[in-house]
Amino acid sequence: MTDTKPMSRISRSARTDLAISLVLVAAAIALPFMVDSRYILGQIVLALFYATIASQWNLLFGFSGIFSLAQMAIFAFGGYATAMLCFYFGWNVWAALVPGALGAVLFSLAVGLACLRLTGVYVALLTLAIAQTMYLLIVTDTECFVMVGSVCRQFTGGAVGFARFGDLGTRALLRAQWLVGNYAIIAVLFAVTMVFTYAIVKSPIGLAFRALKDNPGYAVARGVNRFQAQLLVFGISAFFTGLAGGFYAAHFQAIGPGVLSMSQLMFIIAIVVVGGVGTFWGPLVGTVVLVLADELMRESGEFRTLGLGLIIALSVVLMPKGLVGRFGDLVHWLARRRAKLTDAKPIDSNIVQSPAPAGK
Amino acid sequence: MVDVLMAILVAGFTSGALYALATVGLSLVWGSMGMLNMAHAAMLTLGGYVAFTVITSLGLPIAIGFAGAILAGAVAGAILYFAIVRNLLKNDKSTFEANVMIATVGIGIALENAILLTYGGQPLKQPVSIAGTFRLGPLTLPWQNLLIIAVVVVMMVVVSLALGRTRMGRAIRATAQNRDAAQLMGVAVNRVYLQVLMLSGALAGICGVMVSSMTQLSPPLGNDPMLKAFIMCVVAGLGNLPGAVAAALGLALFESFVQYALGARWGFPSLLFVVIAVLIWRPSGLFGRAEIRRM
Repeated sequence: MTDTKPMSRISRSARTDLAISLVLVAAAIALPFMVDSRYILGQIVLALFYATIASQWNLLFGFSGIFSLAQMAIFAFGGYATAMLCFYFGWNVWAALVPGALGAVLFSLAVGLACLRLTGVYVALLTLAIAQTMYLLIVTDTECFVMVGSVCRQFTGGAVGFARFGDLGTRALLRAQWLVGNYAIIAVLFAVTMVFTYAIVKSPIGLAFRALKDNPGYAVARGVNRFQAQLLVFGISAFFTGLAGGFYAAHFQAIGPGVLSMSQLMFIIAIVVVGGVGTFWGPLVGTVVLVLADELMRESGEFRTLGLGLIIALSVVLMPKGLVGRFGDLVHWLARRRAKLTDAKPIDSNIVQSPAPAGK
Repeated sequence: MVDVLMAILVAGFTSGALYALATVGLSLVWGSMGMLNMAHAAMLTLGGYVAFTVITSLGLPIAIGFAGAILAGAVAGAILYFAIVRNLLKNDKSTFEANVMIATVGIGIALENAILLTYGGQPLKQPVSIAGTFRLGPLTLPWQNLLIIAVVVVMMVVVSLALGRTRMGRAIRATAQNRDAAQLMGVAVNRVYLQVLMLSGALAGICGVMVSSMTQLSPPLGNDPMLKAFIMCVVAGLGNLPGAVAAALGLALFESFVQYALGARWGFPSLLFVVIAVLIWRPSGLFGRAEIRRM
């Protein structure tokens, strides 16, 4: 009896989340044994990066209502910081990952200080402008900073970016199986990110973030400091985004201004929108669906971007809460139908009065 | 010295006029319906390409090319209304702002990519251009810049007359001031939305022709002026038309001075810096209504 007491305190949704994550962990462990195509495993690693970034954008936009378009800029900052620490100071990649992520946090706090006094679309426009400025400054950087052999290197790497600054060490350790090693590392990164995100969303401060999103006026009246809370969530999500950036640079052993392009940002937004804005599993569902769709559209080559744009627009119009939201609607609908059916049956089950049949 | 100063001023006023036209189109939509149209850039590009097709491929006169660009922009605006905006308005009002922005981002990408697939990525020459310069005492002014400034001034006058003197304009202004009150007074708000989107599309079409006549036609043509128009809107306070024009001219002049002094590279970053400084000082923009965004 006493044993079951703490169990009952775990809510049903939490138990569902736990069950889903256990299944996912099992699937993630089984995956490298089932997939032996290098290409597919590579795409899965890439998808894990997308899912990590998308989950952090969802934390910002879906749970806290901050419409930031600087997500890829923060990601790139983390990646560039890691790459530059390795490139200029010869650090080991593993040593540079956390400093890179902390650099991304500092960057995001600077962006947040400038932008978070505003709300809504003003934040979106300013963060977009900042991301574009970063892109332009990197691409147009032509001044020599150091000479590598007879080749001139710009401080920011210019349009080329950085390459060959080290890797995660899996090649030396696992040789031919290095990709599986990288897959394991990135999968752990994703899992850790999700666990932290879950803890944040369910914590009191997570409630404050959500309150600010749902009804800012009321939240502020109840004593939530909007600017501080939003700056905090901006910094938290920047840490994981920047960390993912560092791992991205290390996994591909390269980082360039391409990650800052509009289409990358749109892909992240599309993932969250299709999966379900403000739902915990939405980014993961969206990643699976969109990466699959992207692979299918690869056949039709040039129509990929066109299709992606239409998918974004259509899913906003047709399913404002994304696939997860639609799935929830379906579950509700089925439950209501079943309730109705049992309700319509004769009264042989009158011992258990179902609590207020929803169909009434 | 005077020559350099003149060159900077001419460049600044020309780009300022173009930015003003783009900014007004955006600001009009924001002001009356609380919608940020991220597909505006693609509509700009569409206008430029339609004019190119009409004039170069079909061999029709330039005036018809202009008309085609206006028409294409207006039709794009109407399609945007029927396909996206009308459906999103049915949903929860509080999510409209973000949802419509994301949806128009999608439409914008799709449209830009459709143009890329149709015309190819190589830059094309916009036929709407006048060669030669115009001498006024010690000054030389390219006809092209004068044409752009003239067209923009004409468009501004047309827009302000349409908003100030017509029934449609009165309905638009009423909706912008208070949507619910306007609806209760018998304004067909949905029709106003359609009209505003078509008007802004038409402005985008002309703006696209003008922008491409300064440079060249290419699918990402609209993105750069649009990004600047966005931050000019933010500086002016979204939805404020005269403020948007003033901000566009002021910032464009500032940009061309910076570009001359520090190099083209620093034009946009310094613009952004000014914008952030302004917003820290006045969070709802220079001329924005103070209540709208302050928490």
